Amino acid sequence: MAALDGFRDQLVQVVLYDGRVIVGKLKGNDNFCNLILSDSVEREYSSDKGVEMIPLGLYMIKGDNIALIGQVDEDKDGSLDYSEVMAEPLAEIRY
Amino acid sequence: MLPLALLSAAQGKPMLVELKNGVTFNGHLVDCDNFMNVTLREVYQTSADGERFWKMKEMFIKGNVIKYFRIADAILDQAAEEQEKNRALGRQRGGGRGGRGGGMPGRGGRGGPPRGGQAGRGRGGPGMRGARGGAGAGGPGAGPRQA
Repeated sequence: MAALDGFRDQLVQVVLYDGRVIVGKLKGNDNFCNLILSDSVEREYSSDKGVEMIPLGLYMIKGDNIALIGQVDEDKDGSLDYSEVMAEPLAEIRY
Repeated sequence: MLPLALLSAAQGKPMLVELKNGVTFNGHLVDCDNFMNVTLREVYQTSADGERFWKMKEMFIKGNVIKYFRIADAILDQAAEEQEKNRALGRQRGGGRGGRGGGMPGRGGRGGPPRGGQAGRGRGGPGMRGARGGAGAGGPGAGPRQA
């Protein structure tokens, strides 16, 4: 998958159809957009408290459930204090 | 690395599988295929709400209902190692692959050189077909592999 080659070994944010947000290092992918993410963390957003970071470790996500894959600017991301960030969690995608 | 390579490297190892409906399965991976169909052993099933549990000896999950696999961190390094080993092996064995395979002189021509007195052997007399003998018809890949 040409589009994802540039993301290899980079930090990516993946949004799943169920509304989950997972950030991890992209270690591999295939034509179906199945992904290997290492050291991945789920970011659980809520509107009344800061973002909860849930460490997940090594994940292999099937492409069927992936809504988007975004490259994360590690410097900018590191400078943010997510414990202060509040946002409504994403709803699940209906299809 | 391909996701399938990681999955096959995880055979025999414990993992968690979540289905699209939120149900999760904890167990040891027995086998997997190209569709990511998997069989697990010694499985603990958890309902989507996380309140009910079941235990099973062995089970099969169809690949297309799976949302994700959660695998032990160490498997990634192990899979990379395996891949590197296989690649080295491939280099070693397939070293001469892709060459033109030059024909060996004196071999491969149809029919032998004209032989006096042996007229009538097969089709064509002496000098008809055998004239080209020895030129060699070694096209691409026809010759022996040069290691």
